Amino acid sequence: MAIPIPRADWQSENERFRIGVRARSFVPSFPRTNDADSMTNHQALPKPNAEVLRKMDDEALITTFQSGDLDVYRYLVERYQERIRNLLFSIFRDRDFIDDLAQEVFIKAYQALPHFRFEASFYTWLYRIAVNKSRDELRKKKTRRFFSFQTLDEGIEKELNVRLSVQPENRDTQELVAMGLKTLPEKFRTAVVLKDIEGLSYEEIAEVMQCELGTVKSRISRARAMLRKALKPLMEEV
Amino acid sequence: MKKMNEQKLDALLSQYVDGVLSEQEAQQVESLLAVDTSAKQKVVELKNLKRLLALQPKLNPDIGFWTRFSVAMEEQKEEEHNLLPFPRKFIPAITVMATAIVVIIGTLVIQNRIQLKQFLSTKSQAVREVYEKNILQGSLLPLFSKVDKEHALQFSLFGTLPLDDKSETAFRVDEQSEKGYRIEVGNNLKSNTKSVTFDRFVAEVKPSVKQKKIIDSLLELTGRRIESSVLIGENNTLAIAPDLPKLNRLMVTNIASCLEPLQRVSFERLLEANNAPYKVTVKSVQTGKAGNYVQNIPKFPQGDRFVIITPDTMMYSQIHIDFDSLKRQMEENFAVVGVRRAAMLKKIIAREFQRVPKNMHFPMTNQIFGGEEFFSVEINAPGEEDNQQQMRVVVQPRFRKQIFTPGMPNHSTQMRIWKDTASSDITP
Repeated sequence: MAIPIPRADWQSENERFRIGVRARSFVPSFPRTNDADSMTNHQALPKPNAEVLRKMDDEALITTFQSGDLDVYRYLVERYQERIRNLLFSIFRDRDFIDDLAQEVFIKAYQALPHFRFEASFYTWLYRIAVNKSRDELRKKKTRRFFSFQTLDEGIEKELNVRLSVQPENRDTQELVAMGLKTLPEKFRTAVVLKDIEGLSYEEIAEVMQCELGTVKSRISRARAMLRKALKPLMEEV
Repeated sequence: MKKMNEQKLDALLSQYVDGVLSEQEAQQVESLLAVDTSAKQKVVELKNLKRLLALQPKLNPDIGFWTRFSVAMEEQKEEEHNLLPFPRKFIPAITVMATAIVVIIGTLVIQNRIQLKQFLSTKSQAVREVYEKNILQGSLLPLFSKVDKEHALQFSLFGTLPLDDKSETAFRVDEQSEKGYRIEVGNNLKSNTKSVTFDRFVAEVKPSVKQKKIIDSLLELTGRRIESSVLIGENNTLAIAPDLPKLNRLMVTNIASCLEPLQRVSFERLLEANNAPYKVTVKSVQTGKAGNYVQNIPKFPQGDRFVIITPDTMMYSQIHIDFDSLKRQMEENFAVVGVRRAAMLKKIIAREFQRVPKNMHFPMTNQIFGGEEFFSVEINAPGEEDNQQQMRVVVQPRFRKQIFTPGMPNHSTQMRIWKDTASSDITP
């Protein structure tokens, strides 16, 4: 895929700069903006303006980032924060919690971006980080539940059944679907959220969840079956 | 089998709804749907479900996200940066160096393992010999070797303990204020306190089985604590854990805390009737768990620091003592140790200490005073116990008539060791 760079003169300088910096043997886990040599190189190059950077595609931005211009990470964050926050929101349904988690996802991505090899698209790579992070969080929550002798899933299921039994006009369908999602085990929940809410293809989901295509199909199918069962009264009405 | 087939059908229908089946597979599904109403119903439900999921609410873009994120990132960067005592760019070099050092040391250790083993064996043998020799010679011995439940209760309530089997000498802690305490060694001091046996305490206070167990544990811990807090050595040396004088107040607090309000009243009456040095002033407290009280008793002197008093000087110093080994040694050589301890105690009581005029002002924190029949050491110690506040029971020193030598300042806690004053109720 060609990298659309708006200015030819900047492209050539950036290419030279990129080759020079990539020769460094060590890339720190947390790139530092005040690193002495990168600062020197920055000052020597004309920097494209914000509008130009905002229009650049992911690959070009990452290349620029890997070349040492760490400030461009801002445009990647701005571009994907909404999708990542929505993904996490679909999984957790907790507005206060997801902002912190989204920050952690982007910090993790920032630390790992110097090692990004362009083997996958940036957004599936970012989704993978988000999914891994949410899995860790769900496991933590599960451990906490175990130690506090509470079964949250059972509680949600009971509440869902109570809510479904009331008159159709008094139900908040969206909330019920969200509760239904919460009753699903983590793997199934993530798969169905990626497919039906985020609109990823089966192949992309396999890449994000790091599993076989067949596994993804099976997980989505089982998740939907569970959801249909949990939301049976709702399905019939619709 | 049926379940498996159903799962396969579900998967097929799910993919059909997603439109990812091949043309041939899709035709097969459609022909199935034409005849199978339940499959058709499933497809309807799947489509409905997809629609409902797609309608799930989305979050609006957060325009402040980058600002918050950049702040969080800076904080993390600083945190990560601060953790390292050197610039991050040196991490690989330092890692390589550390690995190399570990490998070199490991190689050297493996190559010289026989010599090393011999060296360590020789050294440990030498250390052991010196240690055992010193212990058996009695260079440092606990003043109290066996503080049982009765003695621990006596100490807790009245701050007194018999020093020897015949109760000819006694040890006493008394507190007048929170600014400090005084250690006194003498042979002509009188006590006006009575004594309370454990049975009497039980009869008066009537603790429940659970409370009795808690108090038993507390007394046992107190006994151990006393055993490891006062040591005597040759050359008339006395080593005392500086926080020992607080122990009996802490014990009164603990006992009061684990009692019910009515029992606490009986306890207070018991203390008052026997002229105990403390009174419980706040009585509205909930009974807690045993662990809360037991945790408040320190097992050993903190950091093994002792006030060491010799005839010439006094210092606050660290002594590393393995009390378990010491106790074991004493039990094994009971007779020898007993004689040696008695001799040491006699020397200490014999006032072979430097005499300093009582009213002389000393600029230093710790002071030594001398008298006709005793010597005393004043140590300014930190004041109120934190755990008293946690337990919400306040135990204050009871106002008492002057029982110490006139002329002594009243603003200090006093600990005295004197002769011929042990209470008659205590059976050693």
